[in-house]
Amino acid sequence: MGRYVMRRVLQGVFTLFLVILLLHLLTTLAIQLNGNPAQAFFGDRPPSPSQLAAVEKRYALDDPCYDQLGNPCLGPFVDRLAAYASGDFGESLRGREVTDIVGTAAPNTLRLFAVVGVTWMLIGMTLGSIAARRRGKPSDQGIRGLSVLIDALPIFVLLLVYKYVFSVPLSKWAKETFGSDSLPALLFKPSFSADHPWATLIVPGILLGLAGSAAFIRLVRAAQLENYNADHVRAARSKGLSERHVTVHHVVRNSSIPVATAVGIIFTEALAGAVITEGMMNIYGMGGVLWRAVQDSDVSVVIGIVTLLAVVTVAVMIVVDVVYAALDPRIRYD
Amino acid sequence: MTDPSVSALMAEETEGGVPNRSFWSDAFRTLRRRPSVIGATVVAVFFLVVALFPWLFTDKDPQRCDIADSRIPPQWLGGEHPFGTNVHGCDVLAELVYGSRPSLLLAFIVVGASVLIGVTLGTLAGYYLGIVDAIVSRTVEVFLVIPLLLAALLLLSLFRTVDLGDGLLATIIQPAIVLTLFGWMGYTRYVRASVLETKNLDYVTAARVLGASDLRIMFRHVLPNAIGTVTALVPTAIAAVIGTEAVLAFLGIGVRPPAVSWGIMITEGSEWFTGGSQYLLLFPLGCLLATVLAFVVIGDNLRDALDPKLR
Amino acid sequence: MTEQNIPLLEVEDLAVEFATPDGVVRAVDGLSYSVTAGRTLAIVGESGSGKSVSSLAVMGLLQIPPARIVRGAVRFKGEDLLTLSPKEHRAVCGAHIAMVFQDALTALNPVHTVGWQLTEALRARRKMSRREAAGRAVELLDMVKVPNAKERIKDYPHQFSGGMRQRVMIASALAMDPEVLIADEPTTALDVTVQAQIMTLLSEIQAERDMGLILITHDMGVVANVADDVTVMYAGRAVEQASVFDVFASAAHPYTRALLRSIPRLDQKGAGLEVIPGRPPDPTSVPAGCPFHPRCGYAEDVCRSDPPPPQHTLLYDRRSACHFAERVVQERGGVR
Repeated sequence: MGRYVMRRVLQGVFTLFLVILLLHLLTTLAIQLNGNPAQAFFGDRPPSPSQLAAVEKRYALDDPCYDQLGNPCLGPFVDRLAAYASGDFGESLRGREVTDIVGTAAPNTLRLFAVVGVTWMLIGMTLGSIAARRRGKPSDQGIRGLSVLIDALPIFVLLLVYKYVFSVPLSKWAKETFGSDSLPALLFKPSFSADHPWATLIVPGILLGLAGSAAFIRLVRAAQLENYNADHVRAARSKGLSERHVTVHHVVRNSSIPVATAVGIIFTEALAGAVITEGMMNIYGMGGVLWRAVQDSDVSVVIGIVTLLAVVTVAVMIVVDVVYAALDPRIRYD
Repeated sequence: MTDPSVSALMAEETEGGVPNRSFWSDAFRTLRRRPSVIGATVVAVFFLVVALFPWLFTDKDPQRCDIADSRIPPQWLGGEHPFGTNVHGCDVLAELVYGSRPSLLLAFIVVGASVLIGVTLGTLAGYYLGIVDAIVSRTVEVFLVIPLLLAALLLLSLFRTVDLGDGLLATIIQPAIVLTLFGWMGYTRYVRASVLETKNLDYVTAARVLGASDLRIMFRHVLPNAIGTVTALVPTAIAAVIGTEAVLAFLGIGVRPPAVSWGIMITEGSEWFTGGSQYLLLFPLGCLLATVLAFVVIGDNLRDALDPKLR
Repeated sequence: MTEQNIPLLEVEDLAVEFATPDGVVRAVDGLSYSVTAGRTLAIVGESGSGKSVSSLAVMGLLQIPPARIVRGAVRFKGEDLLTLSPKEHRAVCGAHIAMVFQDALTALNPVHTVGWQLTEALRARRKMSRREAAGRAVELLDMVKVPNAKERIKDYPHQFSGGMRQRVMIASALAMDPEVLIADEPTTALDVTVQAQIMTLLSEIQAERDMGLILITHDMGVVANVADDVTVMYAGRAVEQASVFDVFASAAHPYTRALLRSIPRLDQKGAGLEVIPGRPPDPTSVPAGCPFHPRCGYAEDVCRSDPPPPQHTLLYDRRSACHFAERVVQERGGVR
């Protein structure tokens, strides 16, 4: 097991290197195509001379490689890697360091993901279990149809509808009935408040969780169906073990494998969804910062955060693989 | 005991293993019966027609706007502007009709190109294995780490100032390239898995023994099995791209003004929502919702019908 | 002499129904048999004859609903298990009656080590310590002749070959020293040489421990080698019950006769394979009267109408559910 973890971590680091290289190559190409290396970082806004100089220095944009289309610009790449290694991920247009911004923003994203995770678990487990237990009956088909519908709605649309159609009247009603500072008023506030991070995150988290829960419902249903009547469960029962023992050590234990895999797959989608959610609901999290940076054309921040998120994704994938190997001994020995 | 080569010949003749016509017609028949599928197909086809033949639905040019006619509420049937006008005085119906084109065109181009790339790479990787597979699989992994949206955000931000002109194709080429670049991996994986499953089956070995070339084996024997899975994924993918276009437009990095797309309409419409002109948001949002839902319903049912493994 | 004849396990007039979307299915309809210490009972029948369902009922492993035990008693050393609460029934199983399942690959949990699974019940029910349990696991593997037992208890099921896995399953069933072992088609998933080894192992273990063994199978060859008594089942009923010698010398029921005749024989080269015409009845629509009558060469009007022929005793210890059992026995045939 230890060797598997080592192997996986090394693989992950290699993949991460390739990912950062890929990002670099693509951004280099974009800059070269754009024609205006340093200017490309500012979009339509005219940069101040100091900002321009900072970007040029940071990305070594005076390097002639940026004028040649197709040159991979490995020199600046190595420089950038060195910068990342020392924790320098760039600066925003206003001069604030990306790592600093992330430090403030990341906790909010984590809180959001916590709410999302709980939503997935709750909805996935309850609806999935019901669907499994009432297999074939109308409630099962209804739940599956519901999950199709949930899957269909892009989170973007869901948020738009909530923000413009529901939240304004709901928060008004809550304020009038319960007072401005009460929990219901905060819950339905259409934007984030740093003073009440958890309360204003709950509804966006639930909405985002809703959008991704379809996969969990299907998964839990399939895993439970497979396991409840599985041969090994029956064999365990034949040994006279208590129902509780069988459920814990055989049903739940085996069902957790596909759940772990699913988390890994859904994570990247959830990340994208989080960016949209935080952006639309004005949440000061990693996604929200990214959203704002794109709107402001603050490209240094965009590059910095996307790179950081790539690192996080690779780390999550490694963890998921390790957890999966811990749960399922069959894959450890390849 | 019959000669093995004879039975291989027979297998070839009878399309052994290739999903023969009854497989597809079975699937089609199941789908035909479900009311949700029929409804969804009608909606999808409707919007396709709107995109392909816009002049059937409106005679106005969405770009010819008279600022004096700004923000007229919908006049419904009989009026000059059945769905009203927007801030700049452009006819909303015309915008909706012409706006469907970039959205749908982008979706079809991206999905089409992704499928092509994905199927090719997946088949090559699964069939030849070895170094080809190693490179392809590693590439898939690397690309998978970066979520589609994030890559789009990054690259399109950099492209913001590039102007390629006004043609329909020109407005969507940038998002098209970026979305395709990060959209092919899923197909590659499915096709590779399917190829691995089928290439060791007896009838493929038999065909190879009979001297069939690699290409022929890939096309006639191995690929048709994978097509089912891939086809099932296409409608849902189309829906996803349509949705993504809206997000990109909202951020200003998708299809860009003065071109019109539903995403742009939604962006503008949301700014004016509280100002009393709710219709500016609701019309494009409704169209988006309807189209996306339609394709997803088709896609889900197609998947159920074509690939029992995914059920 | 008398001690040996007290039945360990007695099934009396067991009937089990299943509620299915297509109607109520009578999977077992009035089955009775008994097993004594040191003797092997073979329950023979095609798929769908109810042989597996009856043993699941004995072990209390049926899902109720959709299953329902309509009537009958299952007596272990005199006590009717069906009248016990599920908890009490469970206590008897595993400790006194154990089951070996058909497919060892799916019956063993892939995520736990073999050692863990062997001693699972010992640790949970008898509170054995981990170290003691590890020792016991090695003993059990030695008993079923798995080489290198001490290392192997740390391995997972997928790391064993098919035959070894079946041995592990047998060991797992023996962990609590049961008095009765039910083996449900233990060799069906194995190839022939391994089959022989497993059957030898089972006989040896049975002899050592003086266990009662119920062998559920459709393979008459295995029955001939190992069984002492035979119960032939068809459509949920026992159609013939006798000692193995009697059955093979001359069958007393047309179905048994047909089964024996359908075994391919080395000394009949060139002859076609004998098959039993027709197919086993659809469980939702069992024919009236004797369920075998549509396929039976001896069928007459009385066979086609209800009630179905009862089990009646031909001779001492020999029963058959055929109206014409005596006639069937007279016709020499079957396996010589």
